[in-house]
Amino acid sequence: MYSLEVRNLTKTFNKIVAVDNASFEVPDGSIFGLIGRNGAGKTTTIRMMMGIYLPDSGDVVLKGVKIGPEFKSKVGYLPEERGLYKKMKVIDTLYYFAEIKGKRKNEVHRKADEYLKRFDLYDRRLSKVEDLSKGNQQKVQFIATILHDPDFIILDEPFSGLDPVNTNLLKDIILEMKQKRKVIILSTHLMDYAEKLCDHVAMIDHGKIILKGSLNEIKQKFSQKNVSLTFDGDISFLYNHPIVEKIENFGNTTGIRLKEANQTQELLKLLIEKNINVKKFDANDISLQEIFIELAGKDEDFIKKEVANV
Amino acid sequence: MFNFRVLAVVKRELMEKLFSKAFITMTLLVPGLIFLMLGIQALLYSSEKKNLRIDIITESDNLTSAFRNDFLESEYSKNGKYIFSFQTMNKEELKKYLEGKKKDLIDEKLGGIIFIPSTAMKDKKVEYYAKSSQNISLFKDLDGLINKTLIDQYFNNKTLSKEELDFARLGVDFTGFKVSEEEGIKEEGYGNLVLAYLFTFLLYISLLMIGQMTMQSVIEEKGNRIVEVILSSVSPTELMTGKILGATLTGIIQMAIWLSPVILLMSTTIFVLPKELLFSINGGVIVYMLINFFIGLLTFIGLFAMLGAIFDNPQDASSGTMPVMMLIIIPFFIALSMMENPNRPVAEIASLFPFASIIVMPARMTLVGVPFWHLLLAVVINILTFVAIFPIAGKIYRVGILRTGKKPKWGEVIKWLKYKY
Repeated sequence: MYSLEVRNLTKTFNKIVAVDNASFEVPDGSIFGLIGRNGAGKTTTIRMMMGIYLPDSGDVVLKGVKIGPEFKSKVGYLPEERGLYKKMKVIDTLYYFAEIKGKRKNEVHRKADEYLKRFDLYDRRLSKVEDLSKGNQQKVQFIATILHDPDFIILDEPFSGLDPVNTNLLKDIILEMKQKRKVIILSTHLMDYAEKLCDHVAMIDHGKIILKGSLNEIKQKFSQKNVSLTFDGDISFLYNHPIVEKIENFGNTTGIRLKEANQTQELLKLLIEKNINVKKFDANDISLQEIFIELAGKDEDFIKKEVANV
Repeated sequence: MFNFRVLAVVKRELMEKLFSKAFITMTLLVPGLIFLMLGIQALLYSSEKKNLRIDIITESDNLTSAFRNDFLESEYSKNGKYIFSFQTMNKEELKKYLEGKKKDLIDEKLGGIIFIPSTAMKDKKVEYYAKSSQNISLFKDLDGLINKTLIDQYFNNKTLSKEELDFARLGVDFTGFKVSEEEGIKEEGYGNLVLAYLFTFLLYISLLMIGQMTMQSVIEEKGNRIVEVILSSVSPTELMTGKILGATLTGIIQMAIWLSPVILLMSTTIFVLPKELLFSINGGVIVYMLINFFIGLLTFIGLFAMLGAIFDNPQDASSGTMPVMMLIIIPFFIALSMMENPNRPVAEIASLFPFASIIVMPARMTLVGVPFWHLLLAVVINILTFVAIFPIAGKIYRVGILRTGKKPKWGEVIKWLKYKY
């Protein structure tokens, strides 16, 4: 059962199509990644899901029913562009955001204290928001997003601007939410995080969904002809080699796309023959980043061919 | 439309505004100033200089003794407000005399010298020499007295009956009577005029202040991108409704605080106003003023919220607010010009006109009797205006609030009305 379905959403601003007939399904109890480059249409899609924008056409369906205003109370949304009332106290901010979701102060105050302690903000709860550092403001905003115990959590670039310790903390909480069977939608252009956290993804480019499905399946599909290689030496002989279709350098590792899936052994032999010091040879592996770079910015026909090809 | 979300927004807006420094300062400052002004006025009345020495000089002994008799009999002499001394000399001698008294006049040891030449018997022209030559309260005190003496002297040798003489002596005395439908005809002082000014200024200041505050807060929400989070919980219409109600209630609270000195003066006798400043209005005027202000404020705040949503920053907004500001400033000047003659047609029209009636009607009610159906009509027109404006302002607000980038032109804003949002 899909808990949330986006069906044929389209939004046009002044003749520019921001989201073009986008459809995807978010399965129950999963972390769903909406990935795409800056300006690809992620935020517009999310805004339509939240009812902030009315779509030109298309629907957002929750467990088979078109969403209405009551959906807003079940959602926690952390927008990419953060904002809090500067003059408000931290604790009042949290209460206010819970209140507009229909939760009274006494229903959330224990949980608020709990989260504030966890994020090391308890002693700042009576400070004005403007007196907090940017990172701390972001933590307050995150608490405000989840304090009313929403069923759906939509996080738009949640990790930007956080230090590694807080990034980890945030990751832990996201995983906890997943265990509680919440539906989490993570919108990001950082493929690393998406790959580590998400079960399902939809890739959006120029307003179109170009790829969607479970992350494992997608990776499997794309990885069959792929080798990820860590080595010392000169592999320039591989460029223009008949069995190699494409080489992509990612710094520490190099991704090699072969022409046929059964050519991996041949490649390994070739590397040893040429005295390359192979440190790691991982057949059938591809990072989400590689898939992303391969597909993003390409025209429709290419993507169709590519997706069908692999 | 009104639900827990709107209520939460109203509460937050109310708290934010009521406890802001600007609101507290302005709200306390204004009645403070009113009381201060009343206090100063009362002080001025009670501490008017006593024992002011005035020399009365005429050119003939005859006239001098006539003035001496009349002036020493007058209440001003008896209650010690002025101390008169009398001399006879001609113009040449007066010049020398003035030279001699110059120092006393400048040091104010001598309040002034009134010279009544013999020609005054023909043209009633007298001369006044003092440090400041325009002493209105002295002229007011003494001109009747001087006139009476001159008349007595003039008719002294002519055969006129006492009645004829008494009539000739009388000056014209205006007494103001206010005519209104319900309470008959009443005598009144400047009090209501002062009150009309007061109402006009208070409404004007409050409209501008609350309007600006609302606009700033919308700009802040838009600029900080708070609005995106808020809109994931409440609809734009709910947010706007909450903001408008919150700001309007703030305005009403402010106005009630500002009017408290007036209400206090109406209902108690602790403060004694000078007779000239006594006013007579009934509580209905205050209640009506607050109700009409409430409805009008809803409309104005809606417009200011709309303006806030159109612009990204206060600089852009300040140029864009002009049209709405005009809706406040023009009625303000109409109300001021009405003070001279409240029965001007323009005042009557303005007191019913949408937007203008908020400021003009209370002043008009204070000055003249206004038929009840006018009062009702003004309220109905204001409600209709609100009903007409709200959807338009709301639409522009909904589109504008999520828009960033360059300052839009008015033409573009009008196009927003056609957008599907």
